[in-house]
Amino acid sequence: MSKKWFTFLLVALMAMLLVACGGGTTETTAEPTADAGEVAEPTEEMAAEPTEEMAEEPTEEAAAPSGDMIELQLMGWSSSDAENARLQEMVDTYNANNPGVNVTLSQVPDYDTVLQTAMAGGEPPDVFYIDSFRLPDYVAADSLMPIGDQMDDPDDFFPSLRQAFTINDTFWCPPKDFSTLALQYNKDMFDAAGLEYPTPDWTWDDLRAAAETLTDEEAGVYGLVLPADMARWIAFLYQAGGTVANDDFSAMTLDSPEALEATDFYVNLVLDGFAAQPSDLDSGWPGEAFGKGTAAMALEGNWIVPFLQDQFPDLNWGVTEMPAGPGGDATMAFTVCYGVAADAPNPEESIALANWLTGAEGMAQWTDLGLAMPTRASLSDAWLEQFPDLEPFLAGADYARPWQFRPGFNDVMNAFNSGLQQAFTGTYTTDQVLSDTQEAGTEVLGNQ
Amino acid sequence: MTTTVSDTTPVPLAVGERTWVRPLKALISYAILFLLATMFIYPFLLAISTSFKTLPEINQNSVGLIPQTFTLEGYERLFSFNVGRWTINSALVATIITVLNLFFASLAGYALARIPFPGSRLAFLGILGTMMIPGIVLIIPMFIVLKTLGLLNNYGGLIIPKVVTAFGIFLMKQFFESVPKELEEAARIDGATQFQTFFRVILPTARPALVALIIFSFQGAWNDFMHPLIVVTTNQSLYTLPLGLALLRGGMGQNLLWNSLLAGSMLTTVPMAIIFFIFQRYFIEGISYSGIKG
Amino acid sequence: MAAASGIKGEDRERAIAGWLFMSPTMLIFGVFIIVPIFFAIYFSLTDWNGISPPGEAQFIGLENYRTVLAGGGVRQADFFKALKNTTYFALGVVPAQTIISLLLAVIVNQAWLRFKGFFRTTYYFPSITSSIAISLMFLFFYQRSGLINQVLSAVSFGNWEPLAWMADPRGLIHIILEAVGVTIRTAPEFVRSEVLGLTIWDWISGPSVALMAIMFMNTWTTIGTMMVIFLAALQSVPGYVYEAAQLDGASAMRQFRSITLPLLRPTLFFVITLGLIGTYQVFDQVYVMSSGGPAKTTLTVAYLVYQNGFANSNMGMAAAIAILLFIIIFTLTMIQRRITGSEGDL
Repeated sequence: MSKKWFTFLLVALMAMLLVACGGGTTETTAEPTADAGEVAEPTEEMAAEPTEEMAEEPTEEAAAPSGDMIELQLMGWSSSDAENARLQEMVDTYNANNPGVNVTLSQVPDYDTVLQTAMAGGEPPDVFYIDSFRLPDYVAADSLMPIGDQMDDPDDFFPSLRQAFTINDTFWCPPKDFSTLALQYNKDMFDAAGLEYPTPDWTWDDLRAAAETLTDEEAGVYGLVLPADMARWIAFLYQAGGTVANDDFSAMTLDSPEALEATDFYVNLVLDGFAAQPSDLDSGWPGEAFGKGTAAMALEGNWIVPFLQDQFPDLNWGVTEMPAGPGGDATMAFTVCYGVAADAPNPEESIALANWLTGAEGMAQWTDLGLAMPTRASLSDAWLEQFPDLEPFLAGADYARPWQFRPGFNDVMNAFNSGLQQAFTGTYTTDQVLSDTQEAGTEVLGNQ
Repeated sequence: MTTTVSDTTPVPLAVGERTWVRPLKALISYAILFLLATMFIYPFLLAISTSFKTLPEINQNSVGLIPQTFTLEGYERLFSFNVGRWTINSALVATIITVLNLFFASLAGYALARIPFPGSRLAFLGILGTMMIPGIVLIIPMFIVLKTLGLLNNYGGLIIPKVVTAFGIFLMKQFFESVPKELEEAARIDGATQFQTFFRVILPTARPALVALIIFSFQGAWNDFMHPLIVVTTNQSLYTLPLGLALLRGGMGQNLLWNSLLAGSMLTTVPMAIIFFIFQRYFIEGISYSGIKG
Repeated sequence: MAAASGIKGEDRERAIAGWLFMSPTMLIFGVFIIVPIFFAIYFSLTDWNGISPPGEAQFIGLENYRTVLAGGGVRQADFFKALKNTTYFALGVVPAQTIISLLLAVIVNQAWLRFKGFFRTTYYFPSITSSIAISLMFLFFYQRSGLINQVLSAVSFGNWEPLAWMADPRGLIHIILEAVGVTIRTAPEFVRSEVLGLTIWDWISGPSVALMAIMFMNTWTTIGTMMVIFLAALQSVPGYVYEAAQLDGASAMRQFRSITLPLLRPTLFFVITLGLIGTYQVFDQVYVMSSGGPAKTTLTVAYLVYQNGFANSNMGMAAAIAILLFIIIFTLTMIQRRITGSEGDL
């Protein structure tokens, strides 16, 4: 049925082109004729293979012989200059050591749009980044090849990160690096208030008490900066012992007392005036408020480190692990993997590339910038030696939860954030936030 | 009927005012106009100034017009990228698109406005309708079409789909409708064909609209992001300025390197401003030209 | 030359000339716009996720349309929320940009005005400054201690309560109602009943503070473009018309009303139509500045299309919403054509 439709559209397209070209050459003036000439050539190509499925075509280009070279395309988003340059160096190393394979690196803007368009258009890159949050969508679309267990020593990856790329017991793709949430604190502000610096054994009560002491509303300074963002709140949910949904995602579990406790704690920090949203601190995100010194503490991930170094080089700050809640320790792991397309024309070479990039050699090169952390336990000691100050981020790997749910979960996140924004202004109760999200989640899970 | 370019005697102030009212009114008018001008240009000036600031300063004082520590680090980073190539690509693509747009859009606009051919109403509604679908939903089909025609990763793909726009046709059609009919009727009586009438009689009267179309077409092509994004993703040597500048922003995270980002946006804005300043003069010349004749 | 065949010949000549003039357009549009639109219409009838090749999508008829228009869930509520926001956006921006740009165009077209090039160029500047740079600048301006609050505070002699513009979800009409003592708690019962997934109270919220901030910025950036269009049109108003009116002793205002405005009618139709199309498709600023927040009050229909297609892997739904948006804009354009009396122009 749908295939018929598709062929029909293709035929219609061809017919239109032919009519247009014919018309163009006989009737119109010089310029349109030139146009028609330009498009005429590909039309013939099409006529030769009119019913071919789009998806099967990339083979042609990739297999196009340039000697016996196998061409691979590695695609990711454009990141910081240092990371972009490093990845290019790694690709150069790989090409030098692997005659017969030529990897081209594309670091693109608007990555999600570009990747999705290329995939749907039947021109997927061979190896590409996938964020753990987006993984379920790509798996549901049958667009990935399961390659996780084909990596060297897959058990060396931290379990929390393997879990982030595991769906229905399949380990889809190897994590390239990761970040965790930790607690950043402004040492000068703690000193001025005569407070001890936070420690890894802090609890919610310690966090709240310190935030209260550090807040000076008249001076516009708050103890803590909290965004209306599910990706931060969820750490508190896990610390309270709650969950978003049950293990097999057959039902949402945000109607639990733990969820309410976490949400109350989070929202009350703001309503009681010990914490503020970034927007109330003249900032676009928590890191900025923390850098400006309008908030004494922030709960962000590794990405705050280069930011503070670049934009607030004089700030005197430290970092420790997230506080524990009534349900124990928890933090979030944000991670990205190297995926290989389901119908990759050169599966063997693509998998080998992903394996090298996430293997001991590639991973060590990648993470010695100190920006993101190695996903292999065997590499963590060497990394810690290099970056001892960042230990609290790495320590989180042991109890981190993955940022990965089910396809279409973006809707659930939007529902939650929308509710939380209203709860922060006092127009919504925490009950309402959770029941809205529960409802949205139930709808999303029900559609699968 | 000798006027080829229509003329305007501007709307006068009121008739019969006392002599001192006029300068006072003028003074107030200029004051208001300059105030407005400040409002319109301030963000641009701030962007220039910010492009010369250091990152810590931008974070501490985001609205000051004078940098405390003048730095070129933004521009240094900018020029460490392949901006020369991006600029050449953008200029080339935008110029070709503009020239073809002028021709095709005025042809189609004239036909829709002045040649009552069968199907013209439907054609116009169809063209207008294409502007009403959010472009974002068309990009995957567009990608497939481009791929089918072999137009991915080449200049053809950047240019051909954009050589005539609904906006341009609509603009020209609405303009031609306000041109007096007598002009072409006279030409028709002299035995000119449709095409001759269009080229010799109608097109010359359309100068203000053509100038507007030049400005808009060039600007549209110069700033276009989505279309080049899907056409040339894997070939960075074909990147246009907006795509390249998106690379400057970096993909993830909030660590915006403001100075180089704004230095980059100056690189896109200033050429456009120059083009506008050059072409807007033709609006004025239109008046004086016909003033002599009339 | 027989009269009958002459007319017939002329008709034929017209048809040939018309379509000949149109042929380059038809070629380009047919291939690069019409074909993709047909794809999109087809997608809207499928459950396509936007990731796997489209040929694999399941045909599901009008299911997407049903979910969006009458599904009763989050999708329906989101769609109507977005439609509400977008409509408030258009109601504010279209009249403002049309009137201000017309005024500016008339002014910078005056013969007595000096520095014409300077004024025209500065007024056009917001239209050419890169939209990303502008959006980022305005994020600065809209901060609580930012420029906009400072200016408002200065002109109100310190009576202005600074707002965190981009984080404020309160609706304009709700704020006004609250000032006169009407809140959701004191309002009559019927406002709590739901219509199309939203309560009546939600429907009448007015644009949120955050949305108004984007509206202001959008108006400010589009005025220049509209001004240039009006300027081009004013240039083609023959000067003798005004001379005659002046001789009759018509005032400037009267000349504007009875000469300039009627002659500008096709242009007015053009500008308002462009305004409707542009505002109903507003996407860029939302994408850069607010991602639809706070509390979904800047969620617009075009942004919802993007979200469904490229974040929720629900391209079928995205296409359905896009088609619905097309129908809405088309209908509004037709209505607008009646109101501005531009039926002859189509």
